Amino acid sequence: MTNDLMLLMPLIIVGAGAILLMLTAAYKQLTIDITAYGSAIIFAIAFLVQLSSCISGNAVLFSEAFNGILVVSNFSKAAGLIILACGFFTTLSSQTYFKQNNFCTPEYYSLTVFAALGMLLLTMAQELISVFIALEIMSLAIYILVGYDRKNVISTEAVLKYLMLGAFAGAFFTMGSAFIYGATASTKFVNISQFIASHGFVHSPAIIGGSFFILVAFLFKAAAFPFHAWVVDVYEGASAPITGYMATALKTAIFAVFANFLVLDDSLQAGWIKYLFYISIFTMFVGNLIAIGQQSLKRMLAASGIVHTGYLLIALVAVSSKAFTGSVIAFYLAAYAAGTLGIFAALSYLGGAGEKRKTFEDFKGLAKVRPYSAAAISIFLLSMAGIPPTAGFMGKFYIITSAIDAGHIALAVLGIVSSIISMWYYLRLIINMYFYEAEEQFNDAVPSQLAPICTFILVICVFAISLYPIAI
Amino acid sequence: MFEHVLSVIIFLPILAGILLLVIPASRTIARVSGLIISLATLVLSIDLYTNFSATGHLEFVEFIPWIQSLGISYHLGIDGISLFILMAGSVLLPMVYLVFTTKEKGYYANLLIVQGAMAGAVCAADMILFYIFWEVMLLPVFFMLGLYGGPKRLPATLKITLYTIAGSLLMLAAIVYLGVSYHAQFNEWSFAIDKMAQLNLTGRIAALAFFGFMIAFAIKIPLFPFHTWLPDAYTEAPTATTFVLSAIMAKIGVYGVIRFVVPVFDEQFARFAILLAYSGVIGMMYCGIAAIAQKDFKRMLAFSSASHMGIIALGVFCMNVQALTGTIYQIVAHATSTGVLFLFAGILEDRTNTRTIEDLGGIASKAPVFAMFFAITMLASVGLPGTSGFIGEFMIILGAIKFNTTIGVLAGTSLIIGVCYMLWMFQRVFFEKSNAATENFKDLSLIEGLTFLPVIILIIVMGIYPQPFLSKITPTTALQFAQNSPVVAKTVTTNALLPELTIEQK
Repeated sequence: MTNDLMLLMPLIIVGAGAILLMLTAAYKQLTIDITAYGSAIIFAIAFLVQLSSCISGNAVLFSEAFNGILVVSNFSKAAGLIILACGFFTTLSSQTYFKQNNFCTPEYYSLTVFAALGMLLLTMAQELISVFIALEIMSLAIYILVGYDRKNVISTEAVLKYLMLGAFAGAFFTMGSAFIYGATASTKFVNISQFIASHGFVHSPAIIGGSFFILVAFLFKAAAFPFHAWVVDVYEGASAPITGYMATALKTAIFAVFANFLVLDDSLQAGWIKYLFYISIFTMFVGNLIAIGQQSLKRMLAASGIVHTGYLLIALVAVSSKAFTGSVIAFYLAAYAAGTLGIFAALSYLGGAGEKRKTFEDFKGLAKVRPYSAAAISIFLLSMAGIPPTAGFMGKFYIITSAIDAGHIALAVLGIVSSIISMWYYLRLIINMYFYEAEEQFNDAVPSQLAPICTFILVICVFAISLYPIAI
Repeated sequence: MFEHVLSVIIFLPILAGILLLVIPASRTIARVSGLIISLATLVLSIDLYTNFSATGHLEFVEFIPWIQSLGISYHLGIDGISLFILMAGSVLLPMVYLVFTTKEKGYYANLLIVQGAMAGAVCAADMILFYIFWEVMLLPVFFMLGLYGGPKRLPATLKITLYTIAGSLLMLAAIVYLGVSYHAQFNEWSFAIDKMAQLNLTGRIAALAFFGFMIAFAIKIPLFPFHTWLPDAYTEAPTATTFVLSAIMAKIGVYGVIRFVVPVFDEQFARFAILLAYSGVIGMMYCGIAAIAQKDFKRMLAFSSASHMGIIALGVFCMNVQALTGTIYQIVAHATSTGVLFLFAGILEDRTNTRTIEDLGGIASKAPVFAMFFAITMLASVGLPGTSGFIGEFMIILGAIKFNTTIGVLAGTSLIIGVCYMLWMFQRVFFEKSNAATENFKDLSLIEGLTFLPVIILIIVMGIYPQPFLSKITPTTALQFAQNSPVVAKTVTTNALLPELTIEQK
């Protein structure tokens, strides 16, 4: 019991912290800055607790807490670490961001922490109803955060789109859960898996329909083809730190629960794998096609987020229940998170008031004005493109290895073709920053040093993660 | 001298380069520290060379496990093949800092990084490590070309970058395929290069993996028809980058073929050797003829370099010990001749502000030392007996005739093209009447002269007395064929016109 509580400690800290922040935000004495530091401290403590439970490793794999509704595994711990780190860097870069943009209130940080609570819960959930609850805790907080700038038309449009479609996805999920419960008389992944193993996947249409609905919900949240259309607009409308948060932490949580769902129900996975195969190919190439045409950096990053979802789906396809290569997914997520968060942390202070600097043209000549920021952005882009010795390369290498090892050579080759295409739009920004002269002047006074520090730490992370050997 | 000498040769320049990029140093500090670091590397390399005992196997091995679950390790070592590419880099690169004294800080810093990365690529004994250095090699070239290149640098930069990255990503898939096959066949994960030779690869996917490697290396060499990036990149790049690309980086492509393709994909290689050999010969002729037509002397040298790379690559595809030894020898000879010609071209361009051959003339009377150095290097490049170029080309042609007479004869005759364009260019640039552009041409200064002198001496020594060099190369090349006798037999039976000539008497 105490062991279970210890494993749950990060969740408890984040939850209590979020409520505390929300309550104290009513006091006038609590400035935005103090809330920012407070939420950063909450994330830091939770991260350290999670790290200590990772290092001590006293938790046995799949040791149970709360009667099997929540299961803590090494995979969920790793995903939790990534989410907490993302939260930490997001709050710090938000602090800098809101020195230049003034639509912030203390509740902003409380919502960030609430979203993290939902995400942490998602990584551990092994039961459909708690997955739904966690999904909604996370999504509701994110909806508000996306539309935080209420006077901005683009931001309002983004939240409306995201809310409507997200609500549909949530409805699909509950519908799917109901179908599956109807067929198997349980909502626990383990029981569903046992039922399908003994009765077969095509035994009842309710299981097929139910799992289809659930997959739709997951694919929507993960921004996979054909449910990717919202991504570009929503990412553009949200503020830079929140876009980074959505692109990294949210994706981590969704892929964690997605993997858990597929892996435990191995026959479920077998039933859907050929569809996931095509979905991953389409996701990569559609994402690339969208990204090539973009003029705004945030929209390009959003589209490249779709491409990375495609790579992660490759790993999901390659995952077999015998040798669960969750570490591959976790590694890729960490590598991707470091690169993406880094870029958004840099955008938080480079964007200026109202995010004026946003198109590729605006980044021309940045290397002359801010050489260190330009170098950092280049490193993040190279990591996302998968050029060694960055973390992105190792992540891609593991994914290709797991795909070929599972016999999906075509998938691996298509993944590589897709990353050749993606070189174009990553290189384009580097070329603009380094090889052109600035066309427009921007006020480049940095209001606060926190976001630059985050960027610097993340540069180190990009290299450090690549050196960390994973166990398969 | 001490343990981990290879690591120092690799990481000393890389770390120094990164440090220079990060700190706000002046260009003089950058140049002097670059010179010191590359001279230090040279000293270490010479020490390595003298202690190299030519056993044929990897020496100076460093082994640190890295990702144990996949059998990936930090594994370095050199043998007779990699030693000479490493030496070529260490000997030639310090010259840049002495000859080109007024460049930006980033120019010197990137040069240091590329030097370390190239050393890493030739020393790596693990495929993943090799791949990492192989990619890192490209980044400094990208920045040097884009930042300090000529007026049409941007398309050239994009072309070389996308081309090379496309090739190397395909190679990554092939590398992973090898690792997975090793796991499947031996039930153990490994990415060590020397273990891959035990693999038994057949079928269509193995052929695809073979082409994955081959295309990546063919782009880097560049082999016909993957050479289209070369004229633009070589012409627009700043002198040091062209020098690095032509003198060393192209050789790493050849090295890759020797290291990965020949031992691992024996069956596929045997099947396609004749195709590859013809593509080498066609490249030689095509680029040679293109070189005759060029009006820009840097572009002419670019085509000439590509033409010579054709014959170097041909030496690998001939599958006998003479041709392979000749290839390694020619790698050094090409680096010291064609590579150095690019440096001379850079000097010419700096002093006359033009690259057009027609604008020049009469330099020999204004700058006799420069003209003499240029002449010796040029003659080595066309393979005049008595220079280093002759030995290598002779051995390759010998091997080519043994392999397939048609190819040997074609390769031998297309060497004449090289003489045509080189001598014609020399005549128009150095003789004839001087004009406004060359009126005040300054001869090499004492420092410049002394910088080039060792290379000139090396060209002549290697041309007259090749034995000490060959004795370091031969054990490794002989071992290559001792291990892979089936590959030789297969290649010979499929391709050779006179098989009895090719089978070695033991």
